[in-house]
Formats: sequence, structure tokens, C-alpha cells
Amino acid sequence: MSVLSLDGVTVSRGAGPVIRDVSLEVVSGTITALVGPNGAGKTSLLEAISGVIDASSGTISLDGEPLGKLSRVRRAHRGIVHIEQGRAVFPSLTVVENVRLASGNAARANEAIDMFPELEKRRDSPTGLLSGGEQQMVVLARAFAAQPTFLLIDEMSLGLAPVVFTRLLPMVQRFAEDGVGVLLVEQFTNLALSVARQALVFSNGRVTFQGEASVLQQSPEVLHTAYLGGSPAH
Amino acid sequence: MLQGALSGLAAGGVYAIIAVCLTLMSRLVRVVNFAQAATGMFGSYVAVWMVSKAGIPIGLATVVGILIGGLLSGLIGWIIATWLSEADTSTRSAVTVGPLLLLISLSFILFGNKPQPFQPLLAGPAFTVSGVVISQVTVVIVVLAIVVAAASKLVLSRTSVGTKLRALSERPTTAELIGIPAKPLGVAVWAITGIISTIVIVIVAPSQSNDAIALSMLIVPGAAAALLGAFRRLDLAVLGGLVLGVIQGTVAQIDQVSFVRYFLPFLFIVGLLLWNQRKAVWDAAR
Ligand SMILES: Nc1ncnc2c1ncn2[C@@H]1O[C@H](COP(=O)(O)OP(=O)(O)OP(=O)(O)O)[C@@H](O)[C@H]1O
Ligand SMILES: [Mg+2]
Repeated sequence: MSVLSLDGVTVSRGAGPVIRDVSLEVVSGTITALVGPNGAGKTSLLEAISGVIDASSGTISLDGEPLGKLSRVRRAHRGIVHIEQGRAVFPSLTVVENVRLASGNAARANEAIDMFPELEKRRDSPTGLLSGGEQQMVVLARAFAAQPTFLLIDEMSLGLAPVVFTRLLPMVQRFAEDGVGVLLVEQFTNLALSVARQALVFSNGRVTFQGEASVLQQSPEVLHTAYLGGSPAH
Repeated sequence: MLQGALSGLAAGGVYAIIAVCLTLMSRLVRVVNFAQAATGMFGSYVAVWMVSKAGIPIGLATVVGILIGGLLSGLIGWIIATWLSEADTSTRSAVTVGPLLLLISLSFILFGNKPQPFQPLLAGPAFTVSGVVISQVTVVIVVLAIVVAAASKLVLSRTSVGTKLRALSERPTTAELIGIPAKPLGVAVWAITGIISTIVIVIVAPSQSNDAIALSMLIVPGAAAALLGAFRRLDLAVLGGLVLGVIQGTVAQIDQVSFVRYFLPFLFIVGLLLWNQRKAVWDAAR
């Protein structure tokens, strides 16, 4: 079992801290939902974990070993895969090329593509010509090919209809079943909470709720208070 | 007329190869490398020095000179990848003016400001076309231009390294997040284009004005040629180089206008920019 843990992490960008003193743990084989209003710092948190930006203080560690100043590339090789907000595909590359980038193992890449019948038919099309939902399938297939230990997913549903997103969620569950620790940032709060075990609410750079996902699902008033920056329920 | 046109082919091939290097650099590492020809000049000067002052055989000296050109280019690339990895293309490009000037001054200090005693690697005619002699240099350079462009295209479209490079050029951060090593690959592109431009300069330097500035400024016609392909298309970069060389050769034959050949690259650049402008205005009008 692997653990990705953050201890007292603060991240500053431009004007000042956008994440203040955040501590949390993601455990392999589970989904942790991370929700919160726009500008709360969810993306910044994922970027600090994957090494896109530096944390100004605190430690991020993988199985107790601090990642320190490890580069993004090294972190990726250590099994931390970050799916960025938006459509993180390489538009001029074909579907196959996109997926193979993440894995030298052609069989694994093919297996990844085969999980989505929509993609199988368009293996050799430039990914830029696919629909938004199909592009997210490519991103998920690429993440699958990479065989991550931890998967950070940033608002995969952005710009997609809920029905399309509902098609993608089982894939996220599949990752957890395979033993991957998933940190799922989502704006479709209820859908995210329905697949997650643990949940975190972020507001204004702080964790305002941390606990069982089912608690949030059953009591919208707790969610509401946490969104508005109410007291942390540790 | 034909004689002039054909005599411009060798120069055109040089422009074409430099244009291909500039196009690769612009596409793959987001930089217009003003030092592209200067690193080649410096590498070839080192080779000449080794032959004339140190008595090293010309073959060995040439290889070492070419490697030094590649190494210098790789070093500039490493510096830019280390400190300007997130900077925009204009900033990264502007920075390469530094090594351009540095290498010119350094070559003055180390080798003096006289043209160098280059020994030709290739000499003599290859064949004759309707009475006009085509030199071996011309043949080699033109073939090299086409081969380099075709090989680059093949590597980019058919190999896994090529796919990684294209991915990096499209979304650098995303590429790094899936574990593609941006820095080593970027530095490799710098080094390889550095080697290619040094090879071409080593070949042509004996048969053209070869002071440090003249060689370093091959970047100007090279950039003019690359502009035809908008710094993206390799085939048009080659075509641009060859056409520019042929026009230059032809103009040089006509006494009344022969001085124009020095301004041709600039006219070419201005013409292409105006043409693109016109297209933009036309598109906007529709
Ligand atoms: N590149 C940047 N430079 C400076 N400040 C930034 C940058 N990106 C984000 N910020 C600021 O950091 C804060 C947190 O932004 P972040 O994108 O992490 O929030 P988020 O929770 O992901 O929001 P959203 O739900 O809109 O995606 C915001 O105040 C934002 O203005
Ligand atoms: Mg965000």
C-alpha cells in the first residue's frame, strides 16, 4: 500500500499564498474527492504535488519520502500522474501516438485504447479532431498506459455534459480497483462524492472539511458551510 | 544567366540547410536561434586552427570542429533550458543574440580578424550542364539540404523520439507530466542542429568570404528562407533557400544590378512579410 501525504503545505503565487498550511493523505486503492469554489486553490494544490509549481513550505511525500525539489519528470517516473484541467491532449498527434507516449509497452497502450470503443475506431485520427468527451477518454487511456501509483485528476468534466462525464467515471473507479490512489478534483460534487471514499472541501486555500464522502453527500448543509469557508471539521 | 543561377545553387543550399535548422529549432524548442551560423563558424575556425597551427590532419580536425560546433550549440540550449524554460519565444530568441556576438568577438580574439586559411574539403567539378560547370560543393550541399530536411521529417513523424519532440512542442508541461524529459531532448535538438550547421559551414567556408562576420551572418538569408515556410515547414524552408540562392546568383551576373544581391535576403524577408500582411488584410476583408 502506498501513501501520498501533504504536511503543512503552503503554496504562493503572484499576490500571496493560495494554499495555506494544508495537510492531507491519499491512500492507494481509494478515491479522494476534492471540491470547492472557483479560485479555492484546487488546481494549485495538484500542481504542487506534481511539481508544476513549488510549495513554499511544508512537505509532500510519497511513502514517507519527501519529494523535495524533484522535477515533474522525475515525479511522473515515480508514478504520480497529473491530468490537467482542460483537454490535456496533444492535438496533432493521433490517438495511438498520444497513448503510446506514456508507455513503452505497446500492449499496455493497446489495452488502454481498447477500453473505449469510441477510441478504437479513431486510433489514427489526430486527437484534435475528436469531441471533448473523446479527448478526455484519450487522456484517461494515456494515464492508464502510464500505470500510475497516484492519479491527480483536475476537473475532467469541464465543458462536458453530465451524461458524458458519467461515462468516464467508471474508468476512474477502475483505477482505484487496480490499486491506484486517486485525487479527484470535481465541480460535479455529487457525482464525485458518489464514487469517493474520502472527501475534502477546499475554500480560500484552506481545508474546510475532511472526512467520509458519504457524510457530505448526506448533509448538504455541511457541504454548504464548508464551501463558504466554515470551520474545519477535523 | 543559367551560369549565374547555377552558381547560386551552392549558396542556396547553405541557406536551405540553415533554414531547416532554424525551422526545427523554432518548432521543437521555441527559439529563433540567431547564433545558429555563429556556432558553425566557431567550430570551423577551430578546425582550421588545428590544421594550420597544430598540424592535426584535416579529417580529424574537421570532425573535432564539427563536434565543438554541436557542443557549443548544446551548451547555449542547456543554458536556455535551465534558466528560461518558461520564458516566451521572443525572450528566448533575443537571448541568442548574446552568444552570436560573444562568438564573433571570441573568434577575433583567438584567431584574429583576417579570413582563415581554409583548405577545401571538396574541390573540382562534379559535372557540366549545357556548358556550365557544377562543382562538387554545389552537389553535396544541395543533396545535403534535401537529405537533412527529409530525414528530419521522417524522424519526427515515424520514431518514438520524434513523437515525444512533437508532444513537447505542442504542450511542454503536459509532456513533462507524463514523464517526457524536456531538457535532455531539447538540448539534443540544439546540439544536432549545431552539428548540421557546422558541417555545412565547414564545407562551404573555403569557397566563399569566410571572415567571422560573413559566416555568422549566414543566419540572415537562412532566416529569410525559413520564413517562406513560416518557420514550420521544412520543404518550404529548403525551397526558400534554393530560390534565394538562385536569384542571388542570377542578379550577381547582371552588372547594373549586381550590388542588389547583398540586400536580397532583406528584400526577401520584407516581401514575405508584406505578402503575409496582404493575406491577413484580405482574409479580414472577407
Ligand atoms: N498562474 C497563476 N499566477 C498567479 N496566480 C494564479 C495563477 N493561477 C492561479 N492563480 C491564483 O491562485 C488562486 C487559486 O487558483 P486555482 O486555479 O488553484 O483555483 P481552483 O480551485 O483550481 O479554481 P477553479 O475551480 O476555477 O479551477 C486563485 O486566486 C488564482 O487567481
Ligand atoms: Mg482549477
